[in-house]
Amino acid sequence: MAGHTRPLRILLAKLGMDTHTVGVTVIAHALREAGMEVIFTGLKQTPAMVAAAAIQEDVDVVGISTLSAGHTRSLPQLAQLLREAGAGDKLLLAGGVIPEEDRPLLEQAGVDRIFTMGSDTREIVDYLNQWWSRQPGSPD
Amino acid sequence: MEVAAALVKGNVAAGARAMRWLDDRDPRGADVVSAVIGHTGGAHVVGLTGPPGAGKSTLASALIAEARRREHRVGVVAVDPSSPFTGGAILGDRVRMARHALDPDVFIRSVGTRGQAGGLSRSTHDTCLILDAMGYDLILVETVGVGQDEIEIVALAHTTVIVGLPGLGDEVQAVKAGLMEVGEIIVINKADREGLDHTLQHYETMLHLRASAQPDAPDAWTPPLLTAVATREEGTAAVVDAIEAHGRWLRANGEFAARSGRRARAQAMVLLRDRLSTLLDQHADPQVLAAVEARELDVYSAADALLAGLREALRRG
Repeated sequence: MAGHTRPLRILLAKLGMDTHTVGVTVIAHALREAGMEVIFTGLKQTPAMVAAAAIQEDVDVVGISTLSAGHTRSLPQLAQLLREAGAGDKLLLAGGVIPEEDRPLLEQAGVDRIFTMGSDTREIVDYLNQWWSRQPGSPD
Repeated sequence: MEVAAALVKGNVAAGARAMRWLDDRDPRGADVVSAVIGHTGGAHVVGLTGPPGAGKSTLASALIAEARRREHRVGVVAVDPSSPFTGGAILGDRVRMARHALDPDVFIRSVGTRGQAGGLSRSTHDTCLILDAMGYDLILVETVGVGQDEIEIVALAHTTVIVGLPGLGDEVQAVKAGLMEVGEIIVINKADREGLDHTLQHYETMLHLRASAQPDAPDAWTPPLLTAVATREEGTAAVVDAIEAHGRWLRANGEFAARSGRRARAQAMVLLRDRLSTLLDQHADPQVLAAVEARELDVYSAADALLAGLREALRRG
């Protein structure tokens, strides 16, 4: 993250009963290698738990990994909770198994970007670095 | 100042933003500290330290649960190491404390060390101060588990809890650990593991040696040696008892305010060194440095010359 004066902080979580951790672990390490501070909150999180943690940690980005159904309900809920708490400016990302037909609903609900299976971690890192360089207080 | 006014009323987002500014060394952080300082001084800061794998996060979670039963409002600062190469970090202590995520009277903040040695981040002191101003009366600071010389926490906390575990090369651990000389409460976690008696014996010996090295004082604090199985919340109420007892002891002896004062004084020196270091970088004469690099000038003479240059620059303002 050359040129950035402060590290990007990102919260990574898994919602619901989904216990597949390989993907989120790989991403956490890639983001750490890219100089970011990754706050991992664990499995079986509810939207309310993720929203509360995102606010206490004052992260810039919330990344949700989902490999089981339920995201069409839980992700919009999370976006809503963040907005209600005045934290709607945080970037909300989702990744994992998300069928193409769910995209419009999620994007409309406030998910800023969806990374599907097979996304290269480099793609995620590049996307975040570009987004971060456009944020105030992080000249690049 | 909007953020300062909101956080002293307990606003979580405002407190979190102030912590971010302080961690990022945003100048707005210093303004918040000036504005809220009058609201601080009440919180009991408790450090949890010990080797990696001792179960510090799990113990912290059990202590939070017990402290909440006693109606404490609990702040937690969980420190994990930042990569010295990339500056990035994976901060995973929240995983073990997940059950407190929705408790409005528990505030957990994860911080990376960001290049600071000694088991804490540079911002840990400030983060505790903000939690204090927000009205959290018990603040747990979980250090990086680097083991034997992470005594930074002792300067920061009112009470330092050493977390050990059975059967981890105890002889070496207990004797070498500089921490054993300063911890106020010793907890052997994972006490259901093999080797507990052996470990307790070693810690008892250490504490005995430590007591005999200190002058007899009738009202001295005697560090309790406790055992716990944090995953089952066994023995953890006794740890909170000991923390509260030590808090009462500190207040009765005038040590509570004295420790806060020493901590503030030390932090002022840290900030001064920080600023001097920035000034040095700005004013270091490149010609002198080049001469050192070319081995035309020795390092001691170079340091003298650089300091003289800095003095000159400061005089000119």
